[in-house]
Amino acid sequence: MNAALLEVRGLKVGFPTPDGLVRASDTVDLELYHREILGLIGETGSGKTVLGMAILRLLQPNTVIEGEIRYRGRDLLSLPEDEMRKVRGREIGVVLQNSGTSLNPVYTVGDQIAEAATLHQGLKGSEARHRAVELLDAVRIPDPAVMAREYPHRFSGGMRERALIAMALACSPSLLIADEPTKGLDAVTKREIIDLFAEVNRDRSVLFITHDIEAAATLATRVAVMYAGEIVEIGAAGEVLSDPAHPYTRGLLASLPERGMRPIPGSAPSLITPPPGCRFSPRCATKDCKSEHPGLVEVGPGHYARCMLYDRG
Amino acid sequence: MNGVYIIKRLFTSVAAFCISVTIMFILLRLMPGDYITMYLETIYRYAPPDVVEAFNHVYGLDRPILEQYVLYLLDAFRGNWGYSLIYKVPVLTVIGEKLVWTMVILVPATALATLAGIGIGAYSGWKRGSKTDIALLNGMIFIRAIPSYWLALMILIIFAYYLNLFPLGGYVDTGALITGIDPLDVANHAVLPILTLFLFSVTGTYYLMRSSMLMTAGEDYIVTARAKGLDELTILRKHALKNAMLPMVTMITLECAGMITGSIFVETIFSWPGLGMLTYKALAVRDLPLLQGILLVDTLLVIAANIAADLIYPLVDPRVQVGDNG
Ligand SMILES: Nc1ncnc2c1ncn2[C@@H]1O[C@H](COP(=O)(O)OP(=O)(O)OP(=O)(O)O)[C@@H](O)[C@H]1O
Ligand SMILES: [Mg+2]
Repeated sequence: MNAALLEVRGLKVGFPTPDGLVRASDTVDLELYHREILGLIGETGSGKTVLGMAILRLLQPNTVIEGEIRYRGRDLLSLPEDEMRKVRGREIGVVLQNSGTSLNPVYTVGDQIAEAATLHQGLKGSEARHRAVELLDAVRIPDPAVMAREYPHRFSGGMRERALIAMALACSPSLLIADEPTKGLDAVTKREIIDLFAEVNRDRSVLFITHDIEAAATLATRVAVMYAGEIVEIGAAGEVLSDPAHPYTRGLLASLPERGMRPIPGSAPSLITPPPGCRFSPRCATKDCKSEHPGLVEVGPGHYARCMLYDRG
Repeated sequence: MNGVYIIKRLFTSVAAFCISVTIMFILLRLMPGDYITMYLETIYRYAPPDVVEAFNHVYGLDRPILEQYVLYLLDAFRGNWGYSLIYKVPVLTVIGEKLVWTMVILVPATALATLAGIGIGAYSGWKRGSKTDIALLNGMIFIRAIPSYWLALMILIIFAYYLNLFPLGGYVDTGALITGIDPLDVANHAVLPILTLFLFSVTGTYYLMRSSMLMTAGEDYIVTARAKGLDELTILRKHALKNAMLPMVTMITLECAGMITGSIFVETIFSWPGLGMLTYKALAVRDLPLLQGILLVDTLLVIAANIAADLIYPLVDPRVQVGDNG
């Protein structure tokens, strides 16, 4: 397999709080290959957004970050800030989790999209405006020339999501990080956004963070499952979602409405003092592993799981 | 901008005006002492009842209070605000003359305080928790904590008396009697009153701007801007400042009107011949027509400021149409 576009190695992210360090990512290893969509799933609070934001170094300044994030071989964590700014928007685009509040209310959508093109590609006034209209058209906004001159409050939820995608794509980045882009959309719009990502993916890689397992199944080449700041299972989408190896992934799938809606009992553990041994063990029905912390073990070709069922040494 | 809005706005403004005229009328009449008694007592140590009665009759002060009120309200709308008892000229003439002098110190002080308050507050809020922010915040709390009167006196004593940098008071040198008023001389006299008014006003703007910026800095669209690769200064100037300014628009316009009140003590301490000083004088001798006139001007300024805020707001916030918040 060729070299990965993005390689995350031993990433630890901690937020200092009065109660202690919140370990939102704990020794995460991940690679993202050229032109693949990696679906990142997991319960709320498992650290998906934090992982995405850490890649672009968009977390608050007092965050404690360790490990390596290699993009095209360069470690982003050790780049000086002004070099990092050239990566943001140009090399790696991001669609933030809350599309409703992620657009600046006092500038037109067109201006906000043109901004990145002006910054990274040196496009001037009318060229940049033209580019914004092109991008809005590419994400299927009707009447793009008119809508480019509108303010965000005139956009519906689905249109805002599209506008944000257009903004993230303004400089044709090689990697797009999308955080729950289908959240809160009706079924038809959701379908359209998923199709849009399939198209977007043609010339770039996507880290697709979602709760929507169906969307992940449709889009993703591979899927990574996060639990309490750790990757607990990763592998080809078809395998992970149809034949999951980790009890947590199985539970996650069983909790889907179309598969019987049996939620996993209990709730996610504290990230300040995670349970000893396997972090999922307090909720796990399969095995009780309070003493040993399992590593990621290959359970099939390119398919890894973090579970004592497989970790024998 | 639509007709319904204009009518609504006009109606609320007139109602606000009537209410303040009424409250003012009542409050002023609750003050102990009246002009003629106090005047006679200061001069003759005794006020002959027949003289007082004759005076009150001439000025209509012996008529029933309700009749006085209705007459006053009608006249206030007609623009007939009566004659000043001390100056013996129409109230509006006196006020107009003094208002100009108040503006000489008020306009620069308010403009500087607004600019500085917004600039420093924005920076402080953006760099929240940094050493600069904490130093600025503590400095502002310190200025705010000093009683305004004492601050004005200290400025006067230090800069005018000990350091002798500026005149002790007044608005021109005595030489002006011969040479006429020299703008530079006036500016020299205006420095300390402006400085005092500035300090009096800048802290409020600073606090408000700082907290508004704190909120804005945490917004998602700021992260979006960062994710585009913009540098911090551009994000602050372009994406944060305009949003953080929104709540300031209303505040600044009202502050401008409120500063008139602040000018009372500054003008009395620095003997600046403006509206504040006039208020003080009129109050001291119970020149009711003049006091009423001054308060009416204040009321009109506040109403005008409110309308201005309503008209300006939609220009800066695309989500609001004129009349939405009226
Ligand atoms: N600034 C912060 N300070 C302290 N804790 C934080 C901070 N940001 C995130 N966290 C914590 O980190 C954990 C992971 O958060 P994250 O937002 O990545 O979850 P998520 O998987 O994206 O969840 P969701 O699906 O709800 O978006 C959560 O427990 C959250 O409370
Ligand atoms: Mg999230």
